[in-house]
Amino acid sequence: MKLSNVQADAIQELGNIGAAHAATTLSQMLGSTVQMSVPAIKAVDISELGTYMGEEQAAMVAFELQGEIQHGGFVIFYITKESAIRLTNTMLGLTDMNRPMNEMDESAIIEVGNIMVSAFLDATAELLGFVMLPSPPALTIDMAHAAMSTLIAGMGEELNEVLLFSTELTCDEHKIDSDIIMMPESSTLAKIVELLENMMKAP
Amino acid sequence: MTDPSPQNQQTAMIGIGEYRVGSFPMMTIGLGSCIGLTLYDSNLKVGAMVHIMLPDSAGRTDRPGKYADTAIPTLIKELNALGSKNRSLEAKMAGGACMFEYFGANLNIGERNAERVRAILKENHIQLSAEDVGGKVGRSVTFIPGSNGRVSIRRANGTTGEL
Repeated sequence: MKLSNVQADAIQELGNIGAAHAATTLSQMLGSTVQMSVPAIKAVDISELGTYMGEEQAAMVAFELQGEIQHGGFVIFYITKESAIRLTNTMLGLTDMNRPMNEMDESAIIEVGNIMVSAFLDATAELLGFVMLPSPPALTIDMAHAAMSTLIAGMGEELNEVLLFSTELTCDEHKIDSDIIMMPESSTLAKIVELLENMMKAP
Repeated sequence: MTDPSPQNQQTAMIGIGEYRVGSFPMMTIGLGSCIGLTLYDSNLKVGAMVHIMLPDSAGRTDRPGKYADTAIPTLIKELNALGSKNRSLEAKMAGGACMFEYFGANLNIGERNAERVRAILKENHIQLSAEDVGGKVGRSVTFIPGSNGRVSIRRANGTTGEL
C-alpha cells in the first residue's frame, strides 16, 4: 500500500515511541548513553534490496509478528558484526575484538534483541491498543542481504515491494551501531494505519 | 533484459527476481534461501544468470526471474534466440540456504527452490554440472562467461570456491 504523508508521519511517530523504549533498555544494559535517529521509512523493491543491504556481516535477531495477527511480518534487531562483538564484550567484561564469536555471544545478542524488541512492541501496542507479540527469536550472523531476503521470501509470493521502518540506535562510548527494523506484512500495515487514523480523528 | 554488455565489461548486478543474458560478467550478492543460477554455452561463449526467490509462480508472469518455474524457460528462450541448443548448455547453481532455523514458513524455501530448479533443468534436458546449495550460510556468486563460464563463490564464513 502507498502511504500518504500524514500516514507516514503517524507511523514515524509510532516508530519513534517504540524505538525510544528500546533505546532506554539498551542504555540500561550498557550503562551508557544511547542516541536514536529519526525513524526512516523506505519502500524498497525486492530487486533493489541490495542497495540497502549487501554483503556486510551483521548479526540479526528476527521476530515474527504474532498476537491479534498471524504472520504479520517481522521486527529485526540488526547490529553490525563489529558492533555485536563490542556489545557482548561490554556485557561480558571482555576486551579482545578479534576473538571468534561463541555460544555465549550468541545468547547475549539474542537476549539483547529480545529485550529491545519486546520494549519496542510493548510501547507500540500500548499506543495502538492492538497487541503485536514477538515470536521466539531467531538469530543469524551472516551477510545482511542473505538474511533479509530469506525473511522476505517467507512473506508471500505476490510481494514485490517491502516497507522498512528503521531506527538507528548508537552508543558512542562503546562504538556500537544498531538498528531496529520493522517490516510489516501489508494487512498488518493497513491495520496499524487504520488505528493511527482513528486515533487522530478522536476528539 | 538482453541489453548490450555494460561498458568496459562492468559487472552486472542481478537483484532478486532479475536476470541477464550476455557475455559480460554478472554477479548476485547475498544469496540466502534464494538461488543464483547460471546457464553457459561454451560454443557461443554466452550465458545467463538469474536470482530466483521462490519455486512456483502460480501463474504470475510479471517477474519471470523471480520464480524457478518461469525463470528457467525464460533464460532458455533467450539463449535459444542467440543460437544455443539446450544440450550445449551447462547449468550451475548456488544458494538455497536455511538462514533462520526457527521460522516455519521459511524452513524449506531454500531446499524447495533447489529441488524445483533441478527438476525443471532435467525436464529441459539441461545438465546441472555443479552446485553449492543448502547449509546455513549466505553466498555471493560471480559468473564470467568470457572466462569459460567461470562461476566463483564467496561464502559469508569467508571461504571461497569455484563451481
